[in-house]
Amino acid sequence: MKKRPGIGGRIGIGIAFLFLYMPIFLLIIFSFNQGESSAVWQGFSFHWYAELFHNRLVIESVATTLLVSLVATAISTVVGTFASVGLYSMGRRWREGLMTVNNIPMMNADIVTGVSMCLFFVAFFSGWGSFAGWVNSVQHVIVLPDRLKLGMATLLIAHIAFDIPYVILNVSPRLRQMDKNLVDAAQDLGCTWMQAFFKVILPEIMPGIVSGALIAFTMSIDDFVISYFTAGSSTQTLSMTIYGMTKKRVTPVVNAVSTIIFVVVLVVLIVNNVREARLEARGERQHRDHPKLDAIREYLGSPKSRWMKRGVALVCVVAFVTVVSMLTAFTNSQPVVNVCSWGEYIDEDLITEFEEATGIRVNYQTAESNETLYSLLKSGGADYDVVVPSDYMISQLIEEDMLAEIDYNAIPNFSLIDDRFKNLPYDPENKYTVPYTWGTVGIIYNTTMVDEEITSWSSLYDPKYAGQVLLIGNSRDAFGIALNYLGYSMNTTNEDEIREAYNLVKEAYDRGQFQGKVMDEVFQAMEGGNAAIATYYAGDFLSMQENNEDLAFVIPEEGSNWFVDAMCVLKDAPHKENAWKWIDFIASTDSNLRNMDYIWYASPNTEALEKYPEWYEEQYEEPLDEETYNIIAAPPETLERCEMYVVLPKHIRELYNELWIDLGI
Amino acid sequence: MPKELIQLRDCVMQYGDDVILDHINLYINDKEFLTLLGPSGCGKTTTLRIIGGFLSPTSGDVLFDGTRINDVPPYKRMVNTVFQRYALFPHLNVFENVAFGLRMGETVIGEGNARYKKKIPESEIQKRVLEMLEVVNLKGFEKRSITALSGGQQQRVAIARALVNRPKVLLLDEPLGALDMRLRKDMQIELKRIQQEMEITFIYVTHDQEEALAMSDTVVVMDGGKIQQIGTPEDIYNEPKNAFVADFIGESNIIDGIMRADGVVEIFNRKFQCLDKGFGKDEPVDVVIRPEDIDIVAEDQGQLKGTVTSVTFKGVHYDTIVDFYGFKWLIQTTDFCPEGSRIGIKIDPDGFHVMKKSKYSGMFGDYSSYSEEYDEINDPTLLDQAEEEGTDDEE
Amino acid sequence: MKNKRALFAVPYVVWMAIIVVIPILIMAVYSITTEEGQLTTENFTGMGLYLSVFTRSFWLAIIATVISLLIGYPVAYWMSKEGPGFQRVAMALIMLPMWINFLLRTYAWMSILENNGLLNQLFQVLGIIKLYNAVTGQNIEYFQMIRTPGAVVLGMVYNYISFMILPIYSVLSKLDHSLVEAAQDLGADSFEVFRRVILPLSLPGVLSGVTMVFVPAVSTFAISRLLGGGTEMMLGDLIENQFLGGAYNPHLGAAISMVMMVIVLVCMVVMNHFGEGEEQAVML
Repeated sequence: MKKRPGIGGRIGIGIAFLFLYMPIFLLIIFSFNQGESSAVWQGFSFHWYAELFHNRLVIESVATTLLVSLVATAISTVVGTFASVGLYSMGRRWREGLMTVNNIPMMNADIVTGVSMCLFFVAFFSGWGSFAGWVNSVQHVIVLPDRLKLGMATLLIAHIAFDIPYVILNVSPRLRQMDKNLVDAAQDLGCTWMQAFFKVILPEIMPGIVSGALIAFTMSIDDFVISYFTAGSSTQTLSMTIYGMTKKRVTPVVNAVSTIIFVVVLVVLIVNNVREARLEARGERQHRDHPKLDAIREYLGSPKSRWMKRGVALVCVVAFVTVVSMLTAFTNSQPVVNVCSWGEYIDEDLITEFEEATGIRVNYQTAESNETLYSLLKSGGADYDVVVPSDYMISQLIEEDMLAEIDYNAIPNFSLIDDRFKNLPYDPENKYTVPYTWGTVGIIYNTTMVDEEITSWSSLYDPKYAGQVLLIGNSRDAFGIALNYLGYSMNTTNEDEIREAYNLVKEAYDRGQFQGKVMDEVFQAMEGGNAAIATYYAGDFLSMQENNEDLAFVIPEEGSNWFVDAMCVLKDAPHKENAWKWIDFIASTDSNLRNMDYIWYASPNTEALEKYPEWYEEQYEEPLDEETYNIIAAPPETLERCEMYVVLPKHIRELYNELWIDLGI
Repeated sequence: MPKELIQLRDCVMQYGDDVILDHINLYINDKEFLTLLGPSGCGKTTTLRIIGGFLSPTSGDVLFDGTRINDVPPYKRMVNTVFQRYALFPHLNVFENVAFGLRMGETVIGEGNARYKKKIPESEIQKRVLEMLEVVNLKGFEKRSITALSGGQQQRVAIARALVNRPKVLLLDEPLGALDMRLRKDMQIELKRIQQEMEITFIYVTHDQEEALAMSDTVVVMDGGKIQQIGTPEDIYNEPKNAFVADFIGESNIIDGIMRADGVVEIFNRKFQCLDKGFGKDEPVDVVIRPEDIDIVAEDQGQLKGTVTSVTFKGVHYDTIVDFYGFKWLIQTTDFCPEGSRIGIKIDPDGFHVMKKSKYSGMFGDYSSYSEEYDEINDPTLLDQAEEEGTDDEE
Repeated sequence: MKNKRALFAVPYVVWMAIIVVIPILIMAVYSITTEEGQLTTENFTGMGLYLSVFTRSFWLAIIATVISLLIGYPVAYWMSKEGPGFQRVAMALIMLPMWINFLLRTYAWMSILENNGLLNQLFQVLGIIKLYNAVTGQNIEYFQMIRTPGAVVLGMVYNYISFMILPIYSVLSKLDHSLVEAAQDLGADSFEVFRRVILPLSLPGVLSGVTMVFVPAVSTFAISRLLGGGTEMMLGDLIENQFLGGAYNPHLGAAISMVMMVIVLVCMVVMNHFGEGEEQAVML
């Protein structure tokens, strides 16, 4: 007789589950929050669920996730099953060798698998490019696409690659348990070996196939890292979307989606458990073998004949439907434009409006920083048409010949751009850019936590605020600010000056001056009153202020950086014509007004900039605070103090990078 | 006079409405080889586990040497068990398996029946383990891994592991069940030898009646959670108390009869002389006739006449099934009678064994559906073993 | 005839060669070349710069693994002793969180651990912070939990502990109970039974749990960033940074990945070597 654990054991299990579920309950609760915060309860509401149906990004990524998971599961189940039978029929040595290789994607760290596949695809694509170019040049019967990009197909391949091992690991033990004489018996009774496979082996190993498929599906749904490296830019799974959001602010819409998924799975599990309990009552037991797998299998329950057949039929039908719908989606020749911008950097209604007006579908993606965007473009992971980099990055992209010259004839609204923002150093002849927004960097501080008026960068390094300051999370800004504080140019190429700035930051860093190194995470931290001082962009400050009135913004007396983000078109953009249309649409006064209102970054459109206070009053029936307006659009006298970044020479960029890593590790 | 070492007094084991043991009273003498015999589900293993301390009876007492030990945990009892599938520790080698119990220390009963553990010095552990391995003929196997041993060797390790602790009582739960026929026979002799050498009590659980008869001093036949009969192997075989025991121990033809007088029993409306006495006049009884107690004679000389319906050659004898008035008897004889021949039979008075009617009457002892397939075929442990071997070589 | 069926595996073997083996070879090539395509060992030798990232990753991952083990083992053990119904439900409850995106769950921890977060608010209400100030003579308004290495470890434990519980539980629940009885019979009390029988026999589960927690923990890249405040750079972040982050250098990234892969392979070999005897024994 096994002794049941005492009350202590139950309490232990209870505490462990509390630990596991606390965050989940929290996110479920906050899916019903009235407000957008994930920490402050503002009343009960269902509106995030309603919103869910309008949030295209979330819906699309959920659809992508399901589609990829289903198709990958279906394919890997079939391939994996045949492979298992094949492996089973091989000699021991062969089988063991192959099984070792089979285990590699399962055992390897996800990031290593992701990286290796990413490199593989990129290498393959460049190889393919020259191959296709050659084929197309020698004949004209078949025209091969010469530019392949990461996307749905690569994502699918990656998912299949890591799903198959799970199927094999589930099917193989079933095969080993099978009576070896069964196949002989079937053949003795007149089956061909193919028939024996379908009539004897398949039914015998079916439970293994089903649980393998279910595990593969779960793994696909849960995957983030591998998808992140193989999906490229135009395809996003739910995990990737969420990852993009966690940097700034996760919309409760995602909580709503997750709550729905959670409830669905919960119901499935309950049903399964009840069924399982019944089966067990009838004395049916399942085989166990691989510790990891059985555990999972146990949770999935052991599928038995009738249910199993239904399950398989269901999976087949769903897979079929999705494949068909995917094919139709692919053959759908709706014109598109791929845009990559920053998070929460557009009034999303504009996208819908543009689509309705032109019939061009906008694939709107976001990148985290200029550096990330650069990496994405370099690694061949992206097939963007329009990107919105900042000034210094534009120079770099021009330098590396990655941008296309813009056809300004197709963009009449370019004339509305204020001359102040034309022919700037990053694009002196204005051949490549149409400014999107401009703004400044400044100090954001919480007036309840700081009892003086901050006017200088010095407070960032002031021991008084030790542990209360958030360092901006990119090297250019972090060192640029230090340079500015020390009285040097933000664009200095003097290594000694740069090292001096580095030492200033490093010294503060080492004594615990900084609570963290953040980019968009600053929203969470500052809005929640978790840090006293941060440096960030003016427009974002205003977004934060909406959620926390105690925040204040200042452009320090030493000066600061001012920047322009401009729309550019990539040299190898596949949809240039559509890109012109999009740029022209965004450059219009109306779009500029609405964007400015939505994201609080200043518009380069003369008319919009001037009319904004008026427009604001019309919209909200209250006058726009002058101070706010000055924060959005810094007045010329403030701008005079500010410096624009120019692209740094390569060796200085490397120095920045090296110092930055040195700081962080 | 033999000492009563273990007593089970009125033990009941019950799970909900399921009565596993029904008021068992059992006294076990010191240095005795006692076998609990019965079909699966009869409660024999439960009885053993109660003695071993793995189960606590729902009611009733377990006494060891006169002391109540119901609540003494297994690790403080002076009994050791050889488990059905040996339960050898796969992570330890032969030596460490055997030394396991010694490393736990010796149970000592101190004042006021307090039991505590006394550490055994390493040198003594070494000595005792090696000695024990010698007793079970496994000298030189100390460093072997358990998995590298054959079934018989594993069996010996299990026995050594239990005996090395010098228990007062050794419990054996179908220890030979997983061995093949030959090995089983050898181990039976081996076990008996060890028991005599060590001079301790063995309580042996089996469903194999031959094994029970061959080894035991006392056999306890159980069925349905009740003890059906306790006795020496001879008593049990020759004087079964009811149809169940008669059938379970050896082959028997069991026929409805009527006791007409002391020494006179009537079957098939014919009176026979027998040795049994003490039944009421005209009391309906069960009559057991062992197949080897029947002599085949010429038809006209027989007390009963019948037709041979089947003959099977068994080596030493023929199993002959004879139809008497529609009731089929099994006769074991060295005489060959062809199928279909008419024969007569003769039974000596001591060939009859008369039993009172019981709930088992009419359930056993008819060979109408006789087939050659002996119990072994239906023996679940044998089947299991075969299966296991099948899977083993696959790994 | 047997060989004919072996052909079933051919598509998969081809697939594996292309999708599993070749990418790793390409990664290996990347790791020993420069951007210009010249052979170099610089990518490996230059890794010394990131030594502290390596040490931190390993250190935090080891701590997280140990904590997961210390929590996961007892939970698995208690579970394995429960009735089948309880076990099934507990199992389902352990797996269920996997269906909620891990980033989202980690994000939820942010709002719990923040300086103004739920936990600090709770401490405030319970007067723990006041008590702490009174005892230590400090004057703090909150406990700094987020943006510390501790938070990263918590995130790892939280995300990967299921992978510790499952294999241990699986081994424990399959443990032949007669071995426990045998040990009791031989005089072992519950502690000795655990130490000498249950623990050594559950070792394969522990080993597989340890690898299943350690490997993802050492390579994680989102957790450190969400909970560590960006100051706790880990190997995963470093690799990601070389491919899709600010420091675009796929060659270095490939080299670091290679190192990680070798470490994982070594782990696997050690584990197999270690666990093989036991595993076979357990299958007896």
